[in-house]
Amino acid sequence: MSNNRVSRRQFLNYTLTGVGGFMAAGMLMPMVRFAVDPVLAKKGGGEYVLTEKKVSDLTEKPEKVDFTYEQADAWYKSDVTDNAWVYKDGDKIIAISPVCKHLGCTVNWDGDPAHPNQFFCPCHAGRYEKNGKNIPKTPPLGPLDQFQVKEKDGFLMIGKVIPNTMVKQ
Amino acid sequence: MHKGKGMKFVGDSRVQDKKGQKVYPPDYSAYPGKNEPFWPDFLLREWMVGAVFLIGFLVLTVAHPSPLEGQADPTNTGYIPLPDWYFLFLYQLLKYEFASGPYNIIGAMVVPGIAFGALLLAPFLDRGPERRAYKRPLPVLFMLLALSAMVYLTWESVANHDWAAAERQGKITSDTAFDKSDPGYEVYAKQSCIGCHGDQLQGGAGVAFDGLKLTPEQVAKVAKEGYKTMQPGAFKGSDEELKKLANFIAEYSNK
Amino acid sequence: MLNKLYDWIDERLDITPIWRDIADHEVPEHVNPAHHFSAFVYCFGGLTFFVTVIQILSGMFLTMYYTPDVVNAWKSVYYLQNEVGAGEIIRGMHHWGASLVIVMMFLHTLRVFFTGSYKKPRELNWIVGVLIFAVILGLGFTGYLLPWDMKALFATKVGIEIAASVPIIGEAIKILLAGDTTILGAQTLTRFFAIHVFFLPAALLGLLAAHFIMIRRQGISGPL
Repeated sequence: MSNNRVSRRQFLNYTLTGVGGFMAAGMLMPMVRFAVDPVLAKKGGGEYVLTEKKVSDLTEKPEKVDFTYEQADAWYKSDVTDNAWVYKDGDKIIAISPVCKHLGCTVNWDGDPAHPNQFFCPCHAGRYEKNGKNIPKTPPLGPLDQFQVKEKDGFLMIGKVIPNTMVKQ
Repeated sequence: MHKGKGMKFVGDSRVQDKKGQKVYPPDYSAYPGKNEPFWPDFLLREWMVGAVFLIGFLVLTVAHPSPLEGQADPTNTGYIPLPDWYFLFLYQLLKYEFASGPYNIIGAMVVPGIAFGALLLAPFLDRGPERRAYKRPLPVLFMLLALSAMVYLTWESVANHDWAAAERQGKITSDTAFDKSDPGYEVYAKQSCIGCHGDQLQGGAGVAFDGLKLTPEQVAKVAKEGYKTMQPGAFKGSDEELKKLANFIAEYSNK
Repeated sequence: MLNKLYDWIDERLDITPIWRDIADHEVPEHVNPAHHFSAFVYCFGGLTFFVTVIQILSGMFLTMYYTPDVVNAWKSVYYLQNEVGAGEIIRGMHHWGASLVIVMMFLHTLRVFFTGSYKKPRELNWIVGVLIFAVILGLGFTGYLLPWDMKALFATKVGIEIAASVPIIGEAIKILLAGDTTILGAQTLTRFFAIHVFFLPAALLGLLAAHFIMIRRQGISGPL
């Protein structure tokens, strides 16, 4: 008899846990879906932004090109100005992202007089070659990203950020 | 030291009984009948009811998305406000003569104050030992009176509210539906139209124009001669202005 | 495994009495709908608490997107309801739950009143309960403004004017609530947000704790 009592209580405990778990799941599932929405959201992007830079004006020397686009940050829409270091490599147009791969500071071409013809990050003295390859023994761990580029009516268009295609790791 | 002055507490093991020992199992021996352990027997029943309740509730949230009206616009003068349903009785009370105007204090303070105070102090107003409702007629009577007053007032305010107008005025409209620099709109704003029909043509005391499919002649006629509750002679401008206004409104109503 | 963990904690903190206070008691026949179906009226208090828990949780999640600012408040509500996954459900839970908690609390109050359960020795618990009632109504009033849509703005305008009609201190209350002598705008919204999200919930949690501790100390009222 006493054995039976214990197992009944255990059974009730399991059922209770089950029902409680069901209620918790019913409440929390939509809430968690709500909270993780940004993780699941598909970023549209990838659209090309027209700059005011003429392709014919580009040279072998990286040049800072500003471009402005409308950024939709959930309910907040704003115009964001970004820039890229653009140069010509033969016929190809190369646009290097100025965001340092170390901690996200902004790099400058010829930023350090001691190391000419390199990208230099002022935060922790990270350096990159012209094609974006990070120079060993400086803080960054990888090459600078690139922008996709296009030409339209002689003007430069800048697309989304892609990993560096010129540097073989 | 013994707390509780001889009152028998149940359920809290930190309350000591007279011998100074902890009272462990809660003692309902005073109550006859079939007691049931709270954990797990009773709680399981409760949670099963809770689970069913939760399913119903989630279905409600999916079936009826919560309403969201257009963004707040403090300059809109035509809007007829309405509080959430549980404040409707109070809102309605303030419409009556004896509770508004010079007596506003009665409707806004005295009546709700007395009601809330009486509710708060109910145990001290109703001090008798009897618990059964029919053995304490006065408190029960007052409560029923208050309840029926609340139900009646809520009912009245629901019946008197123009729900169609409320739905129209709350609609999420886009600002680009018409051009505010239109000469017709200038006339509209200068004449008294804007007071009743709203600065977004969204209506209020007057109708909203969208989808009415009016002709300029109809608009001009109503502006001068009135229509239903709209008084004749509302428009007091020149014929030139009337033409601009009529064209503007007619065009908007046909969009 | 779980038992060992429990023993380890119990050895140090002596939590068994706390556990007993919360869960180890008996439920008498007269409040148990399984024995008398009419005893379902005793469920309203528990359901009120259940909906309150839903309100607290859904409210916490809503603040992940909501912005208490006149320019963005409405936009953020529109966004979270229409663009965010399950947004309609979460806002629905908070919106309909607000009504439901008031219905349940109202029924619970009527049950306690008509069964005379507020009589000695439970006067204090009744008073705490009525204060909870007031706090919940306050949460309903302040929460109504937050989506910053038309009905929110104008209902709050009326509500604040009612508060302003209190003699002598009315004007001060109005300014305190609205944050400005004439404008109902940016400062009103942030104030209502703070009251709705921090001040009133803090008061509510304290009062609920008092309510429950008193119930456990006194037990449920006896049969009629």
